[in-house]
Amino acid sequence: MEVEGELEKTWRVGQDEIVQAAGQQAAQGRQEWKLDGGPYRTRYTRNGRHLAVVGKKGHVATFDWQAGTLHTELQLGETCRDITFLQDHSHFAVAQKKYVFIYDRDGVELHKLKSHIEPTRLEFLPYHWLLASVGNAGYLKYQDTSTGQLVVEHRTKLGACHTMCQNPHNAVIHLGHQNGTVTLWTPNLPHPAVRLLAHLGPVASVSVDPSTGGRYMATAGQDGTVKVWDCRNWKGAVRTWNARGGGAILDWSQKGALGVATGGSVNVYTKPSIQTPFAPVVPPPLYITHPVPHRPLTSLRFCPFQDILTIGHSAGVSNILVPGSGEPNFDSSEADPFENKKARREREVKNLLDKIQPDAIALDPDFIGSLAPTPKLSTAVDGAHNIPYSRLPRHERLRVAGKADETEEVDDDAMGVEDENGDGQRKRPLTKADKEKKKMRGKNKTLKRYLRKQRKNVIDPRAVAVRTKLEKQREERRKAQAIASGVEQPHKPSALDRFKRPS
Amino acid sequence: MVKINVLQHAPSAHLPQRPGDPTPTSRNLDPLMHPFARARERTRALNAAKMERMFAKPFIAALEGHVDAVEAMARKPDTLDIVASGSWDGGLIVHDVSRRTKVFQNDQAHKGKVSDVCFGQEGRLLSCGVDRNIKLWNTESSFDDDESGAGPSQRKPASIFPGKSAFNSIDHHRYDPLFATGSNLVQVWDETKSAAVSNLTLPTSTETVTAVRFNLSEASVLASIGSDRSFTLYDIRTGKAERRIIMQMRSNALSWSPTFPTSVLLASEDHNLYTFDIRSLNTPTQIYKGHVAAVMSCDWSPTGLEFVSGGWDRTVRIWKEGHGSAPEVYHTKRMQRVMSTVYTGDARFVLSGSDDGNVRIWKAHASDKLGIITARERAAIEYRETLKSRWKADSEVNKISRVRHLPKPVYKAAQLKRTMLEAQRVKEERRRKHTRAGEDKPKAQRKKVVIAEQS
Repeated sequence: MEVEGELEKTWRVGQDEIVQAAGQQAAQGRQEWKLDGGPYRTRYTRNGRHLAVVGKKGHVATFDWQAGTLHTELQLGETCRDITFLQDHSHFAVAQKKYVFIYDRDGVELHKLKSHIEPTRLEFLPYHWLLASVGNAGYLKYQDTSTGQLVVEHRTKLGACHTMCQNPHNAVIHLGHQNGTVTLWTPNLPHPAVRLLAHLGPVASVSVDPSTGGRYMATAGQDGTVKVWDCRNWKGAVRTWNARGGGAILDWSQKGALGVATGGSVNVYTKPSIQTPFAPVVPPPLYITHPVPHRPLTSLRFCPFQDILTIGHSAGVSNILVPGSGEPNFDSSEADPFENKKARREREVKNLLDKIQPDAIALDPDFIGSLAPTPKLSTAVDGAHNIPYSRLPRHERLRVAGKADETEEVDDDAMGVEDENGDGQRKRPLTKADKEKKKMRGKNKTLKRYLRKQRKNVIDPRAVAVRTKLEKQREERRKAQAIASGVEQPHKPSALDRFKRPS
Repeated sequence: MVKINVLQHAPSAHLPQRPGDPTPTSRNLDPLMHPFARARERTRALNAAKMERMFAKPFIAALEGHVDAVEAMARKPDTLDIVASGSWDGGLIVHDVSRRTKVFQNDQAHKGKVSDVCFGQEGRLLSCGVDRNIKLWNTESSFDDDESGAGPSQRKPASIFPGKSAFNSIDHHRYDPLFATGSNLVQVWDETKSAAVSNLTLPTSTETVTAVRFNLSEASVLASIGSDRSFTLYDIRTGKAERRIIMQMRSNALSWSPTFPTSVLLASEDHNLYTFDIRSLNTPTQIYKGHVAAVMSCDWSPTGLEFVSGGWDRTVRIWKEGHGSAPEVYHTKRMQRVMSTVYTGDARFVLSGSDDGNVRIWKAHASDKLGIITARERAAIEYRETLKSRWKADSEVNKISRVRHLPKPVYKAAQLKRTMLEAQRVKEERRRKHTRAGEDKPKAQRKKVVIAEQS
């Protein structure tokens, strides 16, 4: 949606005008469903064709909203807190009062997952076939829905958790906790990969931007602030503003539009204003706003491949049109809103065959297939090798030739940010209790040194590049200072300079 | 004025226009639409390696008929599936591999063992034995059979060439009606004459010649292996031996490469196979290590990219040219020492003749499908091959592709061999470490193979 002239604002355009300007099929997207069953939460399948709604009082419905066919409608009679589709609309999981239940397309209960206790939120990782749930007990549990195995359960140790989202590009789970921290989890680490103090007060909602490859994350707190973070650099939010109305619900669209539901209205903001760093605590320019009279607003979902935003509230579900928020070109092998029965079956089988193991989940999805980092340890004893040169591994040969990269590497990810105003502080020193726990019995000094070096063996090429650049800058500054103070003579150009080796 | 464009998909672009039309597929090549592309590809590569191992069922059939060990096998040159085999009890059989029938069988072809067979011109078969005779057979049935009405199996040989000593090997010239034999000399015979035409041996040699082979491209060049660890090259145009190398250990078999005329493969007693380029015989071009006992026979594939070797360790190994380790290994409890191996003419099958008297047919590529492969299936197979080659540096994929199950005695023998060689290597290194620097340089194994070269 584009406006001409200074006086016209996009947010002044109401839904009626948009519906009038839209084509017949697009206009069908503007719908309201009046349902009673408590505040509603919604979820779309990956192709945006099927919608699942669950009301707090136990009303569950899944339907094909484009064709208007209802798959199933259940009255469960107990508190239901969240719903998610599994690999496609043929299975869905409901987080009910005590356990997670998995149902068929027709509403037949297939599984009762007794290990997921008092679940509050569910997420399905489609490429790993993992169902992640977090609950009032504060445990994050991963269940493999293809083999049925409970892969891992993590104790968050941060109490009940009511907010969860996944980063679709690296399958990392983002949890928002009651003490204002946002933690990032993978099935491979027993502790969070990143722990971030985002808000003063509980975190109300977290969402990750799919349009930039999971680079930006938006969090909203009960204190009313909405913050956009850069996932590559956790030092301070990219943008902060106050959303009037307390804890907001957030969702990010495929094209990078951020929907914020606070109080009684839904606001949508677009790129690039929400992603460029902006110091003042001022809301970004508003794109679209829509008042919803039914409080509380409990769910916000952008429909994939459509310009539709679905709002779940206490009186049912509303769809509004948000021009420019959906991705127009889909890929049939990934998610196809127009797939027929045969295509769905084939895609399900192919996706099962291509299932990625959970131990491949990491913060950087590109590490698979990349070269292993060169080990920093040397097998030389007193600088001399016992092993013949032909049997040395490559990095040792480079070291013998003097060409190995010996810059000190520091593990940036494990540091995390303890403080919101973190300015490069190290981890706080281990307490005596921690030291006791980590005490290595029966290990001598060389082994400790070896183990410490092993721990530091994650090399971030970007960090190495930054370090070499800093070194160069430092050297230049020193030289400039020396020349200025007269200690060194400035370099006189000579004809023999071209034969000098670049140092 | 506000310009409003709301996204909508045209069903005509995404649904089939007529019933029975294929559904149109849409593609978006943006990498953001395809997360985990590399992880998924790696999973597919792993699955491809595992599927290859699942489909690897190489054994096809055993051709019986011989009573004793099958030491001699030869493929008929212009056919795909005719193979002749000769055994230690003097029996000679010509098999039709595709129909698994016997075209020709003679149980008393020679007194004593049939040491070698080869095919001559117009489908005639030549066999030589330790009874000092070379016999020429007509394997095709002809209208004018002999008067006794005997079928092909009872036929007498078309001609017999008597010799002075027991023959070990025979090979026919590619084009001319000449053949060469190896006994205690290398002799060239004419099919029309009953005595040898010329004697090609070096005057100084007193060896027993165990194998003689003509080059497949340069038809006048001949190679032989002798029991004094030698490998000799002859040219029948000059009528004498040209060059000779003495190696560390004796070779058991010899095969010229069909596509690279100067390359020859030797199967050695020291458990290795060597390829030599005859232009520079001082060092082998490639060493193939894998067998844990003497290699008894070798044969190139007609493509020249692979070859098969049969060993005293009861295994048949198929190697890729240029890759000196990790071959394909075939073994069966019933197959004892493998004395002879041969490729069929279409390079899809390998035959092994062993001590137990059976000729076994194996697939040259163990996971090949033998039936008709549709285009779709072929595309899938090619994709899987490409995935495996792309991810072969990944340790898991490589391990699945490379590791073969071996019978326990072979596995244990390989372990023992590795321990012993490692001990030797460590000892040599320690010796070198304690000698003055520069006095004892390590010697490449390639240089250790050939001891001397004579011409």
